[in-house]
Amino acid sequence: MLRVNLVSKHFGGLYAVNQVSFSVNEGEVIGLIGPNGAGKTTLLNLICGVYKADGGSIEFLGTDITGLPSNRVCRLGISRTYQIPQPFSAMTALTGVAVSVINGKRRPNMSLSDAALEASYYLEFVGLFAKRDTLARDLTLYELRMLELARALATTPKLLLIDEVMAGLNPAEASRALEMIWSAQEQFGFTILWIEHVMKIIMSAAQRIVVLQYGRKIAEGPPGEISSDPKIIEAYLGSRYAQGR
Amino acid sequence: MIETLHSILIYTFIWGSIYLLISLGFSLICGVLRIFHLGYGATFVLAAYAVWTFMEEVNLGLIPSILLMLLVQIAFSLAVFYRGVFQRYLDQEEILLTLSILIFVALTHLANFLFPVTAGVSIPTTIIDDTLVIGKVRIAYQMILAALAGILVTALYVLWFLKTRTGLVIRAISQNLPAALLMGAGVNRMYHLAMILSVIPPTICMMMIAPFWGVDPFMGSPLLMTAMLIAILGGLGNLKGSIVASYLIGFIHASVSFLYVSRFMGLAALVFTLGVMIYRRGGIFAGETLW
Amino acid sequence: MVTLEFRRDRVLLRWKDQKYEWVIEPRYWRNPAIGVGLLASLPLFVSAYPNILTMITTANLYAAITIPLGLQITGTARVNFGPQLYLGIGGYTAALMNLHLGTGPAVTLLGTILVCGGIALLLSPTTWIAKGLYFSLISLILPLTFLDITFIYGDIFRGEVGLVGMSPLFSLPKVNWNYIAYFYLSLGLMLFYLLVCDKIGRSRFGVSMAAINENEDVARMMGVPVDQYKVFFYVFPSILTGIVGWFIVHTFRTFAGVTYLPLDFMTKILIIVIVGGRAFLYGAIPGAYLISAVEDSLRMFGPINYVLFPLTLIALIVILPRGEGLWGLYHKRHHRDYYPVLHVRRD
Repeated sequence: MLRVNLVSKHFGGLYAVNQVSFSVNEGEVIGLIGPNGAGKTTLLNLICGVYKADGGSIEFLGTDITGLPSNRVCRLGISRTYQIPQPFSAMTALTGVAVSVINGKRRPNMSLSDAALEASYYLEFVGLFAKRDTLARDLTLYELRMLELARALATTPKLLLIDEVMAGLNPAEASRALEMIWSAQEQFGFTILWIEHVMKIIMSAAQRIVVLQYGRKIAEGPPGEISSDPKIIEAYLGSRYAQGR
Repeated sequence: MIETLHSILIYTFIWGSIYLLISLGFSLICGVLRIFHLGYGATFVLAAYAVWTFMEEVNLGLIPSILLMLLVQIAFSLAVFYRGVFQRYLDQEEILLTLSILIFVALTHLANFLFPVTAGVSIPTTIIDDTLVIGKVRIAYQMILAALAGILVTALYVLWFLKTRTGLVIRAISQNLPAALLMGAGVNRMYHLAMILSVIPPTICMMMIAPFWGVDPFMGSPLLMTAMLIAILGGLGNLKGSIVASYLIGFIHASVSFLYVSRFMGLAALVFTLGVMIYRRGGIFAGETLW
Repeated sequence: MVTLEFRRDRVLLRWKDQKYEWVIEPRYWRNPAIGVGLLASLPLFVSAYPNILTMITTANLYAAITIPLGLQITGTARVNFGPQLYLGIGGYTAALMNLHLGTGPAVTLLGTILVCGGIALLLSPTTWIAKGLYFSLISLILPLTFLDITFIYGDIFRGEVGLVGMSPLFSLPKVNWNYIAYFYLSLGLMLFYLLVCDKIGRSRFGVSMAAINENEDVARMMGVPVDQYKVFFYVFPSILTGIVGWFIVHTFRTFAGVTYLPLDFMTKILIIVIVGGRAFLYGAIPGAYLISAVEDSLRMFGPINYVLFPLTLIALIVILPRGEGLWGLYHKRHHRDYYPVLHVRRD
């Protein structure tokens, strides 16, 4: 479904992403992990069209999406959430999701009231229906993340890119968020590419894990293999622990 | 043909150096305070008319008038612009910009009301009242001295920013304010200093160019426009950019004047700037830092 | 064919496979109806004073310039410091067409729309090429450059004196009736602009426009075709402003760039935006009336009014409540409505 081929991106002299290749098949849940600064969010931005890749190509469902503007990428069926939630802060939750409903795919005959109705379905799905008239800047972190999820779902994606949705949530909220993502995947049927730092969650959720370090892919495989790979341990914890194992 | 080239080169040098003086203050405020000082034109108007007032109404000599005017300029920019507008409305940019423009407009009309063009305002700061002939080109000594003053002041400023401790602090503030605060920079004092520093080049400029450029109440507007165009072209707030852009704009003005018709100088400079913006979105030295 | 359906709270128009919905809520129409009625009945009180009639006509025109500006600022996510550029372009186009080609007001209207639209289309790339602050500066400079051009080609544009003697929109037997008729026409124009901009703002385009204003990159990621919308939200309000220029030409029958292009005029419009309140569509009307009244009343002081006017505006800005302005004094804060925030410095 998604094929990333030798993609590179540099800022000045620094290679944020250096010849990374992997692919995502339909219906999978792929985890993307790596220490801080490994280039995971940059890779996501490259896929989404926020940055233009300096080398390599990205293919989605047979179409080359390298360098396409983000709105075209969205229309093709890719959507994302953000590491630091970026809601439309002066708009209410309902209006924010309505933006996605109207623009996520071609809707020639949709009025604002129709869009608000559909947006309320998505809000109800993530559990924010009661807060639909609250301004986005007045929501808590958990609600903001759910709003991001609703907004991404409203564009009816085929591939959802999740960027560290668990960061900052306490364990109860984290498990609710995880359940929400699973039920969303069951209901709407999309593929997930998931950046996460909380190892417990990503190891149990993903079918395949891609590991980045300093912009390069250092490993790829099922979670069992990855968690015992000495290279990964060295990347995260340093060589002392790698040798200790 | 050679003569035209000759003229173009000489006038590029002269106008470029004068434009340096005009745009230095604007770039400084942009780069350090991160504010668009749309009331910058007020410095020119205040410079000329304050000196005239002190000389004619208070009957002081030229030098005391200039010194007093400098004090008035500093007081005005600190009290009215910095304290009155910038500090109060830092987070409401549209109000800040509109108030700055309004103050400039009010000052311009006050000058026009008190000393309209018919009052014959002129500042007798001609140092050498003669002309120099270079090849076939005749230039007034005053112009050359104005250009030299521009280069000298810019050089002094650049040296000051690069070599002194306070200059270093100001550069740090312009590059990364939170980090500078963490390092203990006295940001408020530096902002005051930057405001004071930004007032000096336009004052010197006004004093030097008044004899040949003429003084009229509405001259603040074109001078502000030139300063803004140079700032946009060179990269907002960047001194290197201002230096390069001043000579570029000077070159464009000179070439258009000598190769075509001088009426199109301003338009040509604007079109050139827009063209550069297409390729380099932040101006020539994008980055919004002072150096 | 076109079918009209009346539901309980809305009117539906169906044409082929498209439908247009218009929600009618009577309680929301009460206050606007009172407001419009008030404005429309003004001439009855002041019909004996032509200078007051001119003042309120000018107020309507100021509001008619500010309303599209509000739409433009929100839709392009850039603050345009030179809306009067298209006023000048539209006005000069109408005047020149009328004087040199002898065409009537209807044809000059068409010409104004085409010329303003063409030039706006040409300049629209600045909305996505120039970063926020650069765009504001360039838009500040453009009208002054246009003013320069009018002086350069002084034989065509007549420099400071301007063009005079354009044909009026109509001529009624009594002079006073002309003033009243122009007032109603300008009122109609302003209210039409208000209606159009309000409908756009309350439509799906308005929601996308608000998203662009909030966060361009995120809006783009949600599928909003940002570049195309920016072009539309730059060109359309520019055309509307140009039409105001056309109106000025055929109402006041003189047009000089020096009145409308320099910084002084721009500050008036910006003040209306600021004083009128962040909801700049509705706030433009009380703001425009206030500014027009202040301007007119200061005129009695003679030439010093040029100094007093900016000082009064400064006082107004400082005194009036920040952010909400005049409109905020009246409007009950509905949290469902979107209040756009002006960001000048943005990427």
